[in-house]
Amino acid sequence: MSAISIQSVSKRFPNGCEALMGIDVEIQPGSFTVVLGPSGAGKSTLLRVMNGLEAPTGGSVRIGGVTLGKSNLRKLRAGVAMVFQQFNLVARLSVVTNVLTGRLAHRSWIGSVFYLFRQEDLDISREVLARVGLTDKAWSRADKLSGGQQQRVGIARALAQRPKVILADEPVASLDPVASEEIMALLREIRDRDGITVVVNLHQVDLARRFADRIIGMNDGRVVFDGTPAELSPQALRTIYQREGMEHDNSLDLALAYA
Amino acid sequence: MNVHDLKPALPPKPRNLMPVWAAATLALLWLIVWDLEISFEALAYGVGDMAEYFSRYGRPDFADLSRYLSLMGVTLATALWGTAFALVVAFFLAPLAARNFAPSAVSYRIAREILNFIRAMPDLLLALIFVAAMGLGPLPGALALGVHTAGFLGKFFAESLERIDQGVYEGVAATGANFPQLVMYAGWPSILRESLGYIIYIFDRNVRMASVLGLVGAGGIGLALHDTLRLFDYGQSAALILVILATILIIDYASAWLRRRLG
Amino acid sequence: MTTVSIWRWPTPNGLPPLPLVAGVLALLVALALTAPVVEVNFIRLMGSLGRMVDFAGQMFVTPDWGYMPQLLDKMLETIEMTVLGTAIAIVVSLPLGLLAARNATPHIAVYRVVRDLLSLMRALPELVWALVFVSAVGLGPLPGVMALAFVTVGFMGKFFAEAIEVVDHKAVEGVRAHGAGWLQVRLFAMLPQALPDFVGTVMYILDHNLRAAAILGLVGAGGIGYDLVMSMRLFQYDRLLLIALAIYLVVTLLDRASDRLRSRIIHGSAK
Repeated sequence: MSAISIQSVSKRFPNGCEALMGIDVEIQPGSFTVVLGPSGAGKSTLLRVMNGLEAPTGGSVRIGGVTLGKSNLRKLRAGVAMVFQQFNLVARLSVVTNVLTGRLAHRSWIGSVFYLFRQEDLDISREVLARVGLTDKAWSRADKLSGGQQQRVGIARALAQRPKVILADEPVASLDPVASEEIMALLREIRDRDGITVVVNLHQVDLARRFADRIIGMNDGRVVFDGTPAELSPQALRTIYQREGMEHDNSLDLALAYA
Repeated sequence: MNVHDLKPALPPKPRNLMPVWAAATLALLWLIVWDLEISFEALAYGVGDMAEYFSRYGRPDFADLSRYLSLMGVTLATALWGTAFALVVAFFLAPLAARNFAPSAVSYRIAREILNFIRAMPDLLLALIFVAAMGLGPLPGALALGVHTAGFLGKFFAESLERIDQGVYEGVAATGANFPQLVMYAGWPSILRESLGYIIYIFDRNVRMASVLGLVGAGGIGLALHDTLRLFDYGQSAALILVILATILIIDYASAWLRRRLG
Repeated sequence: MTTVSIWRWPTPNGLPPLPLVAGVLALLVALALTAPVVEVNFIRLMGSLGRMVDFAGQMFVTPDWGYMPQLLDKMLETIEMTVLGTAIAIVVSLPLGLLAARNATPHIAVYRVVRDLLSLMRALPELVWALVFVSAVGLGPLPGVMALAFVTVGFMGKFFAEAIEVVDHKAVEGVRAHGAGWLQVRLFAMLPQALPDFVGTVMYILDHNLRAAAILGLVGAGGIGYDLVMSMRLFQYDRLLLIALAIYLVVTLLDRASDRLRSRIIHGSAK
């Protein structure tokens, strides 16, 4: 059974923009998939329908065989964690508290609204913080950390959920190359060690090539490439990144030559 | 193509409506003065009278000072309780009245309307009603202040909540948090500073209102002032006004200082 | 590590942070100490709930439609008082604001005196000033307008002063360098820069003043306030209902209008 099953999903925004046009994708459990494509291709939207942040206007999304709908949103979100481009931590709260928000779906609201957690939640947070290498920053305020560190907190929060799937929406777009390397390596390591399914949006082709098992290329709301990094030829790249009116322009080729 | 041959004409100058607006406003004001039957001559003649009138307040009579101070104390306490009550109500209503946090469109509309309604009712009217229901004293005053300012506080909180970065909200929502958890983790921590500022502002405002609620029997210093003025006892009136003034100024300074510390 | 309690807070020692605990405790202590002063009594509160429900029931009577003309007249008076008082206040507070701004005032002593004066003017609630002015000029809308204007000058004067204090020096020097006189500098360089916040503040003031004007009648200073209190005292609930509705409508209309105006300005939509 697929970890995530996207069937004929389309998404049309109220302003008329058609972000997704009839996408069919099956994500296998334990896989490391990278979604590649130019801005506006619909990569973000694709990821966001996978955890219900966007509701598809057509088609269905299934997580572990269960269709995602309004009633089971909370339960399914517990198993699907997300890592964001802007980290999306709560600035005022400490690193530990931010990580603990990953446990909220597993707790009834009574204790958590008073900021009370069980010992096992605190143990989990200690463990995931050690995993991402931020134990010494545990009690700092989240906004006092560097970009790379904040993203690692985001990943720790995701891990605290004990998810089956981690979705990463442009996790390294706001980071410098060194931090980007670390984050991608961390995500890959999480998949290798824990078998968690990982789906990452990227616009850096070289990172995609080096870390992905499978690359899905999107352009203009459609899947235009689906294969291994080895199959990602210059021709395929041109298909992914081409825009209307660029057919006779070789600047695209020049840019991609260094990818 | 010679660049100097191209002289684009300026777009037509937009009509300046300022003189029209100014004239219309002046006309409106004149109309109002006429309708209210305000006689500026009477006022002008009265200015001289007023100077004499204000001089009567020149000798404040502090004989009853301890009573005035204790009345002021009651007023302050009323303001405190009113603010506390408003805070409790606003705490629960505001997330429902914030578009991004409200669990449903219906709850959003209802919460907003409730806040609008209690905000529109003058606290004096509420005080009158509560005095009729539970008798004289500071408690109805505190309740009236609480209900009325809950509307303001709730609106301030809701607007602050709506301004929270959507990403922060999604960060917590994506973990599967439910409504109360979202409010407590993505909501209040993000607006803590501004919220404290609003609370202090509302307390400041409540001290002012509490000092006049006494006029309708809701306790405090307002009634004393009404009585002394009715008896034309300018000495005591002056003393009362000075006590009220001093207290409000102290609270003003304290609250401004606190809000600067927070800001 | 032994765990004494099952639940803990996310802090190094497992207890809630000290500032938070201190703050909450201080508040609770203050409330507890002042409870007898405010005569807080839950029994009394619960008991009065019954009377409140009664009262609410009594409000659902046929409105006194015969009262409408007077209601409209008084509501109009209330609105007029608000507009006039605010307008006068704005005019008067412009020069006062200049005098109370550190960079525009002719002398530091003037600055101090005017600042304190403004502070005093806005310290007392409008109702207190209304009481005083009624005592001075008699009943009617005039003392009400005066009271509203008085307090508003205190507020607007401070607003203008602060807005002038943050103007851009360069613009001021530019105008000065062209030989502008003392007044011209203030009129053409300082004031225009202070204006953008103006509309939002005026809307806020109008809103506040409308609510204040609605109750000034309590002390005879014009507006619907007198009728409001009298209908309550005389148990004329058929009138009270209309009055409450009228106040609610007008205040809400102004509120919506000001919201819309504010979002127009923020989003800059063209007419």
